[in-house]
Amino acid sequence: MFSVWLAFLGAERASEFMSATAMQAILAALTIAICYSGVRAVKRRRFDSAALHIGCACVMAGWLWGQHTIRTATSENPAKGSMALVDGDVSDTLWTGTQLTNYVGRLPFSIRLERFIIEHYEQNGFDREVGRMAPIREYRSRVTVTEPGKAPYVANIMVNQPLYVCGYHIYQMSWGNTVDRFRRPMVYTVLQFSRDPGLPLIYAGFAILFVGVMLFTVRVFRVKKPEAGRDAA
Amino acid sequence: MTLKMTLQGGLIYLTFVFFLATALAGRFSRKSLSRWFWAAAFVSAMVSVTWRGLHTGHPPMQNLFEFFLCMAAALWPLSQWSRWKNGIDTETRDALLGLVILFPAGFIFSEDVRRLPPALQSPLFIPHVASYVAGYVMLARAALLALPLMRKSGTESDLRTADVAVRQTAAAGFVLLTAGLLLGAVWGKICWGHYWHFDPKEMWSLATWLMYGGYFHSRLKQGLRNHRALAALLWLGLLFVVLTLTWINLARLFSGLHNYA
Repeated sequence: MFSVWLAFLGAERASEFMSATAMQAILAALTIAICYSGVRAVKRRRFDSAALHIGCACVMAGWLWGQHTIRTATSENPAKGSMALVDGDVSDTLWTGTQLTNYVGRLPFSIRLERFIIEHYEQNGFDREVGRMAPIREYRSRVTVTEPGKAPYVANIMVNQPLYVCGYHIYQMSWGNTVDRFRRPMVYTVLQFSRDPGLPLIYAGFAILFVGVMLFTVRVFRVKKPEAGRDAA
Repeated sequence: MTLKMTLQGGLIYLTFVFFLATALAGRFSRKSLSRWFWAAAFVSAMVSVTWRGLHTGHPPMQNLFEFFLCMAAALWPLSQWSRWKNGIDTETRDALLGLVILFPAGFIFSEDVRRLPPALQSPLFIPHVASYVAGYVMLARAALLALPLMRKSGTESDLRTADVAVRQTAAAGFVLLTAGLLLGAVWGKICWGHYWHFDPKEMWSLATWLMYGGYFHSRLKQGLRNHRALAALLWLGLLFVVLTLTWINLARLFSGLHNYA
């Protein structure tokens, strides 16, 4: 019910609500309670239930860890932010806000945008009929990454193919049209950076949870003929 | 409501007719005839899905129209699974479910072809959607199988057999639901930058998952004492599935990352 209520709130407000300190405390208590159920299940040798509960607890703990990282992030060590670049720009500064005007901090490495490429599908008969360009097939930011103490290297950042540098995932998030100082049209790309040390715990939680669900199902599937007077979920 | 005057539409209506024939033959106890119609419905649903895939040039799982086509095609194998696992015939019920599933695909949703946007070009696209296709069908079937338990019709042994079938079907659906949710979270991290966005669809999916989690917990607590309440929980779960599938995608109230029609 609570989850449904959050859905009615909408993504942004729900996320804000859940990152309040009180909610995080409640969630932490819930995590401990679920973990305790898991430990009790181990004692009863019900390993499916144990994995399910401990997996859930890991996921929740991982989320809390990620939230903690966001709360304790400093401008020397930012957790999340974006940068807008046009071809040739070099930057190591992260921004936030709808217009990317609020300073967040500096990254331990710098990014130079070599080229931002938008590829379209081939125009088909239907596109010609409607009189439009073919839809976009791919956004690609080709960047040069300069990490301290390492030779610079070129990499591609695409939707569904983030780049991982020094603990940060870099995403192809958005793009837009702008003009340069001579009023010539230009295209800029928006890259999003995010650092989340809770991620391994989250993925471990997913794995444990899924193993738990599988074990549970195997146990349920093993019931062939129901025995009179005995039944478990 | 519009009739689709295309090959795709024709295939959908053919499947529709086969579903109807299966249900009618089943109603009048023509078992073998009903099975033939049931297999024919599967073949025609598969042709329909395959044609859609060839026609659009991508896996037919992009929008609700394609999702519902896939659900109709998934019915037959899942119903065969019940026969093999629990020794029960579910054609008649499943064919009726098929009619309900195909109705929006045949008469409501648009069959416009859109090419895959960059966000959907991922190896996780097919597993994420396929888990939900099979999971939702499985959970809908679990609710249908629970009907005799709700009415308490039949002998004690019948009820127990039905109960085992319901439990196993719901458990299979629950695994698929979990797989879909987790794959979605992993994909969200890769594509959108975070595994959980508090997107309305995500929240409703989580609510559905918790609902079925609650079902298995209450089974554990109550055992078989309260058939009716357990079956009611399954129907409530199905209501959540239906809302998650339709209302959340289509209503402006729930604008988010999962909006498509």
